Amino acid sequence: MNTKEYIESGNLEAYALGSLPPNEAREVAEMLSASAELRDELALIEKTMLMFALSSAPELPSDFAEKIWQETGGITNQKGSTNGGNINKTIPIQPDHYKQPSAWKYAASWVALAGSIAINVMLWNSKNKTESQNITMLEKLDTLQEKQQQLTSLIDGYQKAKNMMADTAMKTIVMHTMQKGHPMAATLYWSQEKAEAYVSVDGLPTPPPGMQYQLWAIQDGKPVDMGVLPNSMANTPNIKKVDMRVISGEAFAISLEKEGGSPVPTMQNIYVMGKA
Amino acid sequence: MNAAVTYTEEELIQLLKGQSRQAFNYLYTNYAPALYGVIYKILEDEQTSQDVLQDVFVKIWNNIAQYNSDKGRLYTWLLNIARNSAIDKTRSKGEIMKSKIQTGENVVHNLEQTSKTEVSTDTIGLRKMVNQLKPEYASIIDLAYFNGYTIEEISKALNIPSGTVKTRMRSAMGQLREIYAVK
Repeated sequence: MNTKEYIESGNLEAYALGSLPPNEAREVAEMLSASAELRDELALIEKTMLMFALSSAPELPSDFAEKIWQETGGITNQKGSTNGGNINKTIPIQPDHYKQPSAWKYAASWVALAGSIAINVMLWNSKNKTESQNITMLEKLDTLQEKQQQLTSLIDGYQKAKNMMADTAMKTIVMHTMQKGHPMAATLYWSQEKAEAYVSVDGLPTPPPGMQYQLWAIQDGKPVDMGVLPNSMANTPNIKKVDMRVISGEAFAISLEKEGGSPVPTMQNIYVMGKA
Repeated sequence: MNAAVTYTEEELIQLLKGQSRQAFNYLYTNYAPALYGVIYKILEDEQTSQDVLQDVFVKIWNNIAQYNSDKGRLYTWLLNIARNSAIDKTRSKGEIMKSKIQTGENVVHNLEQTSKTEVSTDTIGLRKMVNQLKPEYASIIDLAYFNGYTIEEISKALNIPSGTVKTRMRSAMGQLREIYAVK
């Protein structure tokens, strides 16, 4: 790939947006260090991104920089003064009026020290406990949110299905198993009027790795490719709109093909079929 | 973008590690409005966005020593911090990350809706132009830039190959470049 082709590939844009996996980002970084032309191009991409983001927001208040500086500078200054104070201070080891402390003072300080250590250990333990409880809570919250998302998309799927069933122009075609001994089914919803179709494969097993389901319309006795179906759809009530316009078809079928689909269906892998 | 001095990325990073007021001013002038734009695009509320921007700057300031160019461009690194903080904020508000389950269509729809409700007199003309981005470009920019989707995630969400995602990113950015006359 020459420099021009590399620029056209969109890798630099993906790099600037932070969308590349780490190994690809490293490759881009290496290409960049070797080519001034690529670096110039990246600078333009970044400038465009900055302009686009700029135009998306209202103006910041004029004293905002100062406010943030206080916030950041405040932190660094504080650190600086406490450190600086400790470094140069001379602490007298034994002042002039130093007196030998009495034995009970020793005892008292040892008791105080032991007490303080005990309290610290207790506090430390309870802090650790709270922290680990906190982490568990956060993890639980994450799982809950994830579950909620899954539920939302599930409901979304049902909702779409419900709306489709309610459409009177929508024809429901149930595709039955073509594999003896394996009960399977899939459903196609087809509005011939709109040339639109939706497919659900909740009655099909998840395909093995490297394989994918492909939908076919049988038109004039010949199978016509209607696109591959994402593997995540199998076994779920998700409904997908068929990518192609479906104008005609005597029957519809789904076959298991290698990932990305095949130009013609593999006959022994036709899983389900249904007449329109 | 009207700072009197300009630094190369390497110079700026060196300067930032010294944590001087000069470095802060340069960083703020060049990046704060854009980062604010990204945060605002996610949160759509001025006050919350300003709070997040302030946190983001403090975070950047305290972590600048850990940045090195292996982590990508400075702006990409800043963008990541800003985007993650804003997205975290939507989570802490108890909002579900709706965007994660949005389809491509919804994203484009939302993009249009968003720009209808935001009113800022001087940028209306510009925004109209941005809306002329083809929907398939707009959705990719929205997912990648403001939602932080990876190429792989976009490819899955829009059901297009990752090579196509990248070339569309290229075309989209090309259109924006014309709109903003970036040279």
